[in-house]
Amino acid sequence: MDSSLIRNFCIIAHIDHGKSTLADRLMQATGTVSDRDQKEQLLDSMDLERERGITIKAQAVRLAYTASDGVEYQFNLIDTPGHVDFSYEVSRSLAACEGALLVVDAAQGIQAQTLANVYLALEHDLAIIPIVNKIDLPSAEPDRVAAEMSRTFGFNDSEILRVSAKTGKGVDEVLEAIAFLMEAPRGTADAPLRALIFDSKYDVYKGVIAYVRVSDGAVQRHDKIRMMSSGRTAEILETGYFSPEPLGGMALGSGEVGYLATGFKDVRDCRVGDTVTLDASPAAEPLAAYEPILPMVYTGFFPVEGDDYPELREALSKLQLNDAALVYEPETSGALGFGFRCGFLGLLHMDIVQERLEREYDLNLIATAPSVRYRVRMTNGSVVDVSNPSDLPDLAQVQAIEEPWVNLSLIAPERYIGAIMELVTGRRGTFERMEYLQGETTDSNGDSRVLLEYKVPLSEILIDFHDALKSATQGYASMDYSHDEYRAARLVKLDVLVNEVSVDALSLIVHFDHAYPQGRLLVKKLKELIPRQMFPVPIQAAIGSKVISRETVKALRKNVLAKCYGGDVTRKRKLLAKQAKGKKRMKMVGSVEVPQEAFMAVLSLDR
Amino acid sequence: MDTGKRIVPPRLGVPDEALALYVHIPFCETKCPYCDFNTYAQIEGLIPDYVAALQHEIERWGALLSKPQTNTIFFGGGTPSYLPVHDLGHVMSTIREAFAVDSAAEISLEANPGDVDPERAALLRAVGFNRVSVGVQSFDDGLLKMLGRRHDAKTAMGAIRNFRDGGFDSINLDLMFGLPDQSLEQWANSLNMALELDTEHISLYGLTIEPNTPLEVIVEKGDLPEPDADLAADMYLLACEQLEAVGYLHYEISNWCKPDKFARHNLVYWRSGEYLGVGPGAHSYVGGRRFETIRSPRQYVEALRSASDLPTESDALAAMKQIGIIASGGPDSDRQQAADFLMMGLRLSEGISSAEIETKFGVDFPTQYQDEIKRLHASGLLDFAEDRYWIPHDQWLVGNEVFSQFVELDTTSGG
Repeated sequence: MDSSLIRNFCIIAHIDHGKSTLADRLMQATGTVSDRDQKEQLLDSMDLERERGITIKAQAVRLAYTASDGVEYQFNLIDTPGHVDFSYEVSRSLAACEGALLVVDAAQGIQAQTLANVYLALEHDLAIIPIVNKIDLPSAEPDRVAAEMSRTFGFNDSEILRVSAKTGKGVDEVLEAIAFLMEAPRGTADAPLRALIFDSKYDVYKGVIAYVRVSDGAVQRHDKIRMMSSGRTAEILETGYFSPEPLGGMALGSGEVGYLATGFKDVRDCRVGDTVTLDASPAAEPLAAYEPILPMVYTGFFPVEGDDYPELREALSKLQLNDAALVYEPETSGALGFGFRCGFLGLLHMDIVQERLEREYDLNLIATAPSVRYRVRMTNGSVVDVSNPSDLPDLAQVQAIEEPWVNLSLIAPERYIGAIMELVTGRRGTFERMEYLQGETTDSNGDSRVLLEYKVPLSEILIDFHDALKSATQGYASMDYSHDEYRAARLVKLDVLVNEVSVDALSLIVHFDHAYPQGRLLVKKLKELIPRQMFPVPIQAAIGSKVISRETVKALRKNVLAKCYGGDVTRKRKLLAKQAKGKKRMKMVGSVEVPQEAFMAVLSLDR
Repeated sequence: MDTGKRIVPPRLGVPDEALALYVHIPFCETKCPYCDFNTYAQIEGLIPDYVAALQHEIERWGALLSKPQTNTIFFGGGTPSYLPVHDLGHVMSTIREAFAVDSAAEISLEANPGDVDPERAALLRAVGFNRVSVGVQSFDDGLLKMLGRRHDAKTAMGAIRNFRDGGFDSINLDLMFGLPDQSLEQWANSLNMALELDTEHISLYGLTIEPNTPLEVIVEKGDLPEPDADLAADMYLLACEQLEAVGYLHYEISNWCKPDKFARHNLVYWRSGEYLGVGPGAHSYVGGRRFETIRSPRQYVEALRSASDLPTESDALAAMKQIGIIASGGPDSDRQQAADFLMMGLRLSEGISSAEIETKFGVDFPTQYQDEIKRLHASGLLDFAEDRYWIPHDQWLVGNEVFSQFVELDTTSGG
């Protein structure tokens, strides 16, 4: 393929602004899929992705488009994950492109994720085609949103396309813009191979399939390749591209996007961000410095049934085949027994992994409260990373505890500034700056929209911040964050005792100023969640040896079926089976039956 | 494991080996808001056809089972006393023809207090009923109204007297506790009035708010408070104390009687004896198989009306299934049957016999349930001596903690 006719691009959008629908429509308009095969959100192949309406894994699909100049172009559409948890994967996908379609919902306007994505696209020097989508909506305000985009990003109103991916209106203009406004990839066909891996997945038969963008040289079947950061080598089993079904047998040349079947047995041999070269004639420099992804959130996963531990280990190792960002190591809890401490990119990532473990591997799990990774400076000068509250060293030997902070951006109508300020400062956040997104234009409430930027400890936005923000702003605010620095704080470990026994899996690291109210709320919540037992169960919160809060779950006095009517034994049996099943889902902590939800109680505190 | 020096609780008479017969009468004048039984108001027009269908079903079973011996018959509902006495009489005659009814059989009728005058009581006695179970529920007029009952306390007392005068020397009285807004004092009053009536048998039922009943909706809406489980426990304990003080024997979790006045029919259920239920929604346990008759009275009547004369199946259950009146059922595993046996038998003061489990189901209880027994015994929920196992009286209120240990989780469908 003449690389001057190739256009590599991605679609960037805030969640639900119509990225996947536009992708589907582009495939349909170019005849890549027939109308008959059209099912909603073709690129989101995991069930979970379709259910949640999000993209978890990046995908790439090749479209052939004959433009108005009569020339056939090769379009490579790289679908990117839309969630902040996966921003590393987004940036790798952007690095494989020359252009981006920026999609903004005609009713909602610019959202925090839009902003973050645009900045990322600019960093990667991409040509941006701005699109106002969903113009078919009754509540659409295309002109207002276009004005907002002009002001915020400096576009000319004339270059902003008005589109309805749903009805197909304006889609032809999008295709033309891709062909004529985006640049062809630059690369050297006769230089040593350099291809960037922007995603990978595991296939039972072909090993790790790497999604690549070739910059220089070419690659084909039987080539012996080398990973420039890990040094691992492999012989290519197959090369090809997706349309959207995989089509093998085609070599990939300079500027092209496609896949390599590597035969690797472990995705960690073939990491996103690494550069592929040929073993025999390697390139001198990789395309980009490879950065390993660091988990931001940690939690413990424990099987409810101790016997399921080997199955959990097996399931995690299988998930990791497709998810290089997932890390785990064995953890032992006094309360919960054997499990795994797992690290994730964010809460959504954690949720998805837990759901897949339970759904696809039929495991019954207890997840402990999520934690960030703390940096603990010891009095002897050493530094330890702590991602599990129960691993916090004895405070006598601790000089300082540092926690990660983030830059938090929020976009919301002006009328919510007060509510947002209150919410963020209550989470120890500090205000950085504020910017009005529109000049003269206002939204349908006559309100201007503002961008607010804060710095805030990650642990404070980890748990229920997003819900709190939605309720404080009636759903109008959007948020995004990026990592900042570690800062020292007065942090303490809050322990919980159930029936006089300290339950390690319930320990939390909290700021001293929040410890008392948080302890009180937690104990109250646990009282609601722990069912009555055959004896009274005291629940206490403590800092060190000092108890700061206490509640008691009263003893169970009555639990008996009253009547057996007319010999209906099966019905009694069903009721008892229901009770017995409920018990089975609980974990024995000492002599107390504790339901799974209790270990996540901290997620649902009303503060 | 300690074998203890505990005294084995006395047996509640000799177990009945005959087939117990339950007759379902799915008619009520009005339906009470807490009731989720298979009963209907406003279908009185169906009564004549229904009685004919019921007789038809009884005849068929009698023929298929070769006129089986029966020692207890129970007419439940619904409101059996709502039916004309001559209809009840016809059904009784059919039973006597189709079944070998023992001359000393216990023949019970559930009765609504409002349905009985002295003459009617005497007629019921005359058609063969010798035990009556009166649904008093409460002696508090306010609570009766809340429960949707059509009688008041005075009527209830009159009903008991009428049955007495009509020749019934075995009377049960039902009371409910743990009702929304019911105070301990109201409960004590109801209990005292019940004791004054000096019936042979008393059943006390804690109210369960059943799913899909009007009461559930009322409580969910907040128009009535959810009953307080602790207060209900206090009510139960008060009843235990008072009934024992005047000589009632507490022989089952919810049942008390004068010496030897056990509800023989119900004992068959609790001891997992065999019983046949006729009428829509009735449950049976025959030959190790549990099954249920279809619930709709109308379909039941239709199916029996159009049933062909000669069943082609030799197996009794298969033959009845062919007619189309059996909704579900099938053989249960031995372990499932053993679990049911435990769930029912441990409700009784006499408890259960591991030897009987072994004989009946081939299940070695002490070995196969070793861990459960150990755990329950350690927490005081289960006692044993010789081959008998029982729940101590002071733990009856948390009986489910015991039953749920033995329930079979994977086989909850059969039936």
